[in-house]
Amino acid sequence: MSPRRLSLAVAALSVIGAAIAGYLTWVHVAELQPYCVGGGGACERVQSSPYAKLAGVPVAAIGLAGYLAVLASLLLRDRSVTAFLALVGAGFSAYLTYLELAVIDAICQWCVASAVVMTALAVAAVARMYESIVRQTPDEAAAAGGHTRRHVA
Amino acid sequence: MSSRAQQKAAARQARLEAEAADRRRAARRRGFARLGAVSALALVVVVAAVVAGPTGGRDAGSPAPAASATFDGIPQDGISLGSPTAPAVLTEFADLQCPFCATYARDVLPAVIDRYVRSGRLRLELQVLSFLGEDSVRAGALAAAAARQDRLWPFTDAVYRSQGPENSGYATDAFLRTTAEATPGLDVARAFGDRDRPRALATLAEAERTAEALGVDHTPSFHLRRGDGPARPLEPSALTAAAFTAALDEALAAR
Repeated sequence: MSPRRLSLAVAALSVIGAAIAGYLTWVHVAELQPYCVGGGGACERVQSSPYAKLAGVPVAAIGLAGYLAVLASLLLRDRSVTAFLALVGAGFSAYLTYLELAVIDAICQWCVASAVVMTALAVAAVARMYESIVRQTPDEAAAAGGHTRRHVA
Repeated sequence: MSSRAQQKAAARQARLEAEAADRRRAARRRGFARLGAVSALALVVVVAAVVAGPTGGRDAGSPAPAASATFDGIPQDGISLGSPTAPAVLTEFADLQCPFCATYARDVLPAVIDRYVRSGRLRLELQVLSFLGEDSVRAGALAAAAARQDRLWPFTDAVYRSQGPENSGYATDAFLRTTAEATPGLDVARAFGDRDRPRALATLAEAERTAEALGVDHTPSFHLRRGDGPARPLEPSALTAAAFTAALDEALAAR
């Protein structure tokens, strides 16, 4: 996939993820029950668990900030920032999914959807960084390496 | 252009291309090293967040959080909290390691006490189960000993406020001692001496028997008994004060 398409994929996934995390943040703040297919018990159980907050901040709000940060990082020339943010998000999402399965014993469909989006985002962001590495032009390589030696003869 | 000049130009061109290829290879090596560094740094950040994050319990021996005033001035007798003549009894089945039991104790119980227990409308009973693991057994035994001193409720409150990651081995004697010391009115030495004695063990066994008789299969579970009537399950839609008190109001009003 071309770097441009990968950038578009990262942007699209960030928007989708931000929408999911935004919804979960809203229901958390408004103390509403999240809509879940087949009843909201499991979602409510996850959302009201002690694991729904990190240092007093709702995990959903941290996720929302993370998606927006990934989106904003697309404006930077350095693609490693996007990859770093997405990898952190994917790693933490994996841990939260483990908590749902092994500790809380309930699955929140929104949380799983966010974890899937974040994982896809990490794959796309790393692929985008990989593309930029393997597709460097000689001039970019020279600029990246700082070599300015010129041939005069 | 002479043949010699052409050879010189071709050699120069070849040298330039070789140098460009070298630069590309070096840049790729640096790029992949950067990708590796980014991945490693991301891993470090995630591990740090996990260690310090949502499961972070209190270390054994570190000060327990200050006791709350939730139970001040309310009669306590064994596993009961509230007036002995209250017309209804709400029995909670809990495991001290259960994070939802801690959520209930933190977010819901104060409202239940203020609204129903202080006014004498309801008496609470706490049946401590120990099915989640060894930490539950150790904390449960000391809870039963605290019940002998009529200090079960503030002790479990203190445990919940210091609750650690499930089955991580956090409920050591040091942890339990610090938690017991944070429980107002509890004779800590006596509680530690009582925790393996028959009366404490009988309290836990009675909780298990009652849970089995009522078909309790999860914690926290609630049963409401009015007067001499049978205990009926109370199932709030969520563990929030609003949802719980709504379910309780409905159950208390039902004929």
